[in-house]
Amino acid sequence: MTMSVAVIVALVIGVWGQRLVGAFVLGPWLDRQPKLTRMAGLVPAAVVMAVIVQLTVAQGRTIEVDARLAGVAVAAVLVWRRAPFIVVVIAAAAVTAALRSLG
Amino acid sequence: MALTFFSLGVTLQVALIDAGTSAGRALAASAVIFSATSQFAWLAVREGGGSDWAAVVAGWVVASRYGILTTSLVPRLPAGVARRALAALNAFDPNVAIAIQQPTASGVEREFWRTTAAMMLGWFSGITVGTVVGNVVGDTAQLGLDAVFPAALLAIIGNLLRTRDGFVAGLAGGLICLGLLPFVPAGLPIILSVFGAVLAVAPVRGRS
Repeated sequence: MTMSVAVIVALVIGVWGQRLVGAFVLGPWLDRQPKLTRMAGLVPAAVVMAVIVQLTVAQGRTIEVDARLAGVAVAAVLVWRRAPFIVVVIAAAAVTAALRSLG
Repeated sequence: MALTFFSLGVTLQVALIDAGTSAGRALAASAVIFSATSQFAWLAVREGGGSDWAAVVAGWVVASRYGILTTSLVPRLPAGVARRALAALNAFDPNVAIAIQQPTASGVEREFWRTTAAMMLGWFSGITVGTVVGNVVGDTAQLGLDAVFPAALLAIIGNLLRTRDGFVAGLAGGLICLGLLPFVPAGLPIILSVFGAVLAVAPVRGRS
């Protein structure tokens, strides 16, 4: 699948626009909504984790467990131990590739 | 910092090209969108069989964190709409986190742009190298690259997951996605996972 120009433009608007909305509209308003502020700060944890699940144990709309899960599990331990980004990424690839080559 | 964004840029380009976007298009997209998480979200939904627009919405939802980041950055910057807007447009997780530790407004601005420069250097060299690598690399699954994409995302939100609330939100968001995946149209599990953040706040509210 290819990223169409429309998709790129839509993502550009969403990604850059939300920063301005946050800075000049949301910020002053959220100052009066402490609970919402806390919740909003947690949205990335929830949503990015959902993307991770999709990329790790799914194939289309079916759950499929394969060597990816082992690679990501190793990555999780390394992230938790505060390993540098490049180490996390290389370890995930190495573990997954090694498991696949073993069959 | 530069190295992190370099590896992220390489990873993203390889993923996009592997998925079928032409090298030039992928490079242009990453240069103007400049948000690996949004592009990964788009990719995850599309690969799951979702429509382009469900995928774009997922990308927007993931990018909503930038709007939150600017709310904490902008009040700490020196006054002036133009310089505040310029900084806000370049807000990312690491540069905001580092900048707001500075005590003075001018210090915040200085650290912000210093970190931003390092990130940009890493990002643009990373996506350039990634475009070349993505074109020559053969079977990405054989190299374990499909595990690299989720691993990279995990590293991006690592600090957030280490907090109690962040962990609960992440766990809830992941379970929502896992539970809904086989039953609803592709893309929807990721969009609906925002409710993981609601769940993370709910029990604490009852206790206090």
